[in-house]
This record gives sequence, C-alpha cells and structure tokens, in this order.
Amino acid sequence: MSYIGAEVIISPLGDTAEENWNALAQNRSGISFVEGAGYAGEGMYLAKMLALNTTRRFENLLVQALTKVSALIDSQIITSTRTIVIISSTKGALDTNIKDQFAGPAAALTQRFKLANQPITVSNACISGVLAINTAGKLVEAGIYEHAIVIGCDVISDFVVNGFQSLFAVSDKPCAPFDNARNGITLGEGCGAVVLSTSKDVFKEAPFQLLAGASANDANHISGPSRTGEGLFRSVNKTLISNKIDTAEIDFICAHGTATIYNDEMESIAFDRLSMSDIPLSSLKGYFGHTLGAAGLIETATSIQMMRNSELVKSLGYSEKGTSKPLNVITVNEKRRLSAVLKTASGFGGGNASLVIRSI
Amino acid sequence: MNFVTGYCRLNEDFCAVNGEVISRRHIDSEDSWFKQIYKEQEFVYPKFYKMDLLSQAGFLGAELIKRGNLRVASSYPDDEIAMIFANGSSSTDTDIRFLRSYEGNSSPSPSLFVYTLPNIVLGEIAILNKWYGENMFAILPNFEPGFFINYLNITKAGGSKAALCGWLEILEGKVDVFLFFVEENEETGTPLNAENLTSLFNQKPSIN
Repeated sequence: MSYIGAEVIISPLGDTAEENWNALAQNRSGISFVEGAGYAGEGMYLAKMLALNTTRRFENLLVQALTKVSALIDSQIITSTRTIVIISSTKGALDTNIKDQFAGPAAALTQRFKLANQPITVSNACISGVLAINTAGKLVEAGIYEHAIVIGCDVISDFVVNGFQSLFAVSDKPCAPFDNARNGITLGEGCGAVVLSTSKDVFKEAPFQLLAGASANDANHISGPSRTGEGLFRSVNKTLISNKIDTAEIDFICAHGTATIYNDEMESIAFDRLSMSDIPLSSLKGYFGHTLGAAGLIETATSIQMMRNSELVKSLGYSEKGTSKPLNVITVNEKRRLSAVLKTASGFGGGNASLVIRSI
Repeated sequence: MNFVTGYCRLNEDFCAVNGEVISRRHIDSEDSWFKQIYKEQEFVYPKFYKMDLLSQAGFLGAELIKRGNLRVASSYPDDEIAMIFANGSSSTDTDIRFLRSYEGNSSPSPSLFVYTLPNIVLGEIAILNKWYGENMFAILPNFEPGFFINYLNITKAGGSKAALCGWLEILEGKVDVFLFFVEENEETGTPLNAENLTSLFNQKPSIN
C-alpha cells in the first residue's frame, strides 16, 4: 500500500496548500488579464505568478516546493537512498535555456538537497502529473523505493503562449470548463508536490491512500481528443478494476476540463460510457488555469485538500450545460465527507491517465 | 522472466536491426537520412513526411522491429503492449525549430508546435498500430537500463504483457536511437537485465 500526503501547492493563489485552499473555498481565481502578453502584445488572460519575477523560475519553483515538502515530512527521507524524486513537466526551464530544459535543474536539485538518487523527469504532455504520481506509487508499492517525492512544475513562456495561440486554443475570457460558452484554455503556471511512502509515519499530517491507476492512449490523433473518449474510458475502467473499486464508491471526480470545446465534450462522453455522469465533478482550471505538467500535481493536491476539509468547491466558470452528455458539474460549494476521489488527465499525444485517492 | 525479442539501433551513419546493418547513410543523397531509410525499406505511410525527427525515428524503429518479430503485430490484444520511452533532451530539436518559426515577424507554426512534446512519438506509434496501452516518456541524463527494468516491472504488474521500449536522443544532427521489444517467456530472446541491455546498446552491428 502507498500513502500519499505532504501536499504542496504554489500558484498565483498562494505559496502553500492552505493559502490555495482558502482562496478556492472563497471561489477566488488566480486568472487575471495580463497587459502586453500574447504574440501580438494584445494582452490576454493568464494564471500568472506575477510576484515570481526572477530568472530561473522553473528551478526556483522546484527548490521552493522541495523545501516546503521537507517541512511536512520526516526530513531525513529527502537524502535517503530509498527515496526517488520524480519531476513532472512539459517544458521545464525552456525559458532559461532551451538546450537544457531538465538536466540542469534536476542536477541543481540533487546537489542542493543532497539527493541520493538522480531524479526522473516525466514529460508526457498534460498527463505528466497524474502519470508521475502513478509511477511514484507503483515504484513504492513494488518495493523499488520506500519513498517518492513528486514535483510538478511548468512556467508560462512566450514559446508556450505563441504555440497555443497558433492552434487557436486560447480563450478570450477566463476559461470556462464544461460550460456552453467555453472557447479555449487559459494558460497557467505553478508548482505542486506530493509525497508517496510505504510508511504512514513519515507524514506530519495524516496521509491518504493512493490507488495508482493506468494510462491509456487514444490511438486517434496527436493533438485532438478522441471523439469516443476511448483512452479516458479505458484508463478509468482499468484503474477502477485493478483497484477493485466500484463507481458507486467515488464521491468526486476531479476532471481534466481544459475548457476547449473538444476536450470537455470528450470527457462527457467517456464519463457517460463509464456510467459516472451523476458523480459530482469539477475542473480546477478556472482557478489555476492550465498548468500543463504541473496540473496533475496541483489538482491532486487540491483534491486532497478537499478531502481534508470535507468540502467540494464549485467548478469555476461553469453556468450552463455545454456537452452532449450530461455531467454533474459542481455549481455551489458543498460540505461533504469524501471517502474516494478520482483524478483524471488527458493530453496531446493521445495520453490519458487516472488515479484514486482514498481516505484511510 | 523478460526477454528482448527484437531491437533496432539507429545513429548518424547506420540503421541496424537485431545486430545487422540494414541501411547506411549516403551523404550525397538529396533525402534526409530518415527518409533514405523510409524509401529503401519501402514503407508506405505518407504521414511519415509530416512527422518531426523524433517521431520519424520512433516510426522507423518500431516498424523495423515489427518486421523482424511477427508477434509484435499479431500476438497481443490492443492494450497489452506498453510503450516506455526516454531520452536526454526531450523535444529540444523541434523546440528550436518552432522558436525559429516565430522569430522576426513570422507567425508561430502550429504544425511544428504540436511536435514540441517528447511523447508525441508515442501517440504516432499508437495511432499507426491502434495500440491503447500504457505510455511513459521520461527524461534522463543518459541511457539507463535500470529505469527501463524498473518501469517494465511496474507496468507488467499493471497488466501489460509486452513493451516497446526506446531511447531516442536526437539533437541538432546527433542521432542516438535504440528501440527494443520486451516479451515474457520468449526464450529465443536475450534475457532482460542491465548488463545485456548495455551491451545491446553498445553493440557494433555486423554488415550483412
């Protein structure tokens, strides 16, 4: 069994999981209009960490995250030979040095924190975070390591902004996941972290159980979601079956919900096929924007905060049904004990991944 | 127990399958090196021409392994072959091309942008083969057998029966590609362990 906890969130909404939770409970968004941003300098909505005005932003965020993690666990495990650090990111330090996106920052982390094992970086587009947590959980369960620290991070760069603009995938308003008027993503930046361990005792605050799940490819298109939700359907189905969990046990779905027309439609089809349309669901992109490789970490950490606080927060930006299949999108904050939460992700390259967090 | 039952090695000068060179680069050719192989081997998959170099390398390696081991295409259900790929420089080669596309006053190229993620090659191979299995793309400083062996173990525990693994390092003309297929209980193959993987990776191929 693998325990999960020590969650860290660094975003425009705050530097700790608690600060972020407080903002979410008040339905405050980290998205703002950033003057001058965008290919033509036209200005655009971004979830940007305006105070993080440094060079080497990616590396600095990794260091901040690991520093915060070490305060939430028995800090001796950081340097243990039985610990692996897994970094989840799509573009790493591209804005600092396009030719050294990952190796330099990973080496800096190793040196600064005296890590015994070289970190592994998972770079699988938008499913990176969920895939990295699943990898960590399985490495721990298989006894290959005792502890795993997973840090997801991506920063906003001209490169990524220009790219999504060239695909006409960026919303002209703050993104509105699953809503009828949605018209694209809002890019975000930030960092999230969790710790996986075979031992409950390394966590200062009570951990939860990770039920690591499967990934599945759509085998359909490199940059567009499947029309049938095939990969997401298969991923969730396998995750539930392999962990012997019934859909009735899932209290909440923390969906991917990028707010593009096709992604959100695809998710509605997959959840309909899974007979999970009635389960309360939200996308956190209305709060954090789409943080790419950090999204799986930030959103899993937020799901754990929801479980700790026994509260579902509303899916920000949603007001009217906007998918062909119904979804139970959360429209008001609600106090509720949560025993099991499903987190999903889908992304470019046709990837889909899912995991379940359960109360102990 | 796991066995390597097919492998392909591709560098700047040659392409070898299961230890035997099948193609050598002609420096004076008008075609790129990967297109030379594509034509020589008489592949027919027009999408190949749209792919970036990472995806082209993955396509060639996967297809050449399939030709040498018929079980890859015929012996497994559509979700039981995992893909476990890694490299050192992510999609940097294509990242640089995309960056150049919008320098000056030109517009960023969407057809380049979609290849600025290393895992796109997994999507391309999945689409071609209709494989719905598990995917992983990791960034590591060097080819590291231990990563593949550990990840294979946890993937097998999750229900995958075979895996296409790959190290695909492509950056500014440098080509260092090694794909290998792993199956259980196929004792005609090479037992999967760190020593054997390292020696297959470093093997000097013979000329057929």
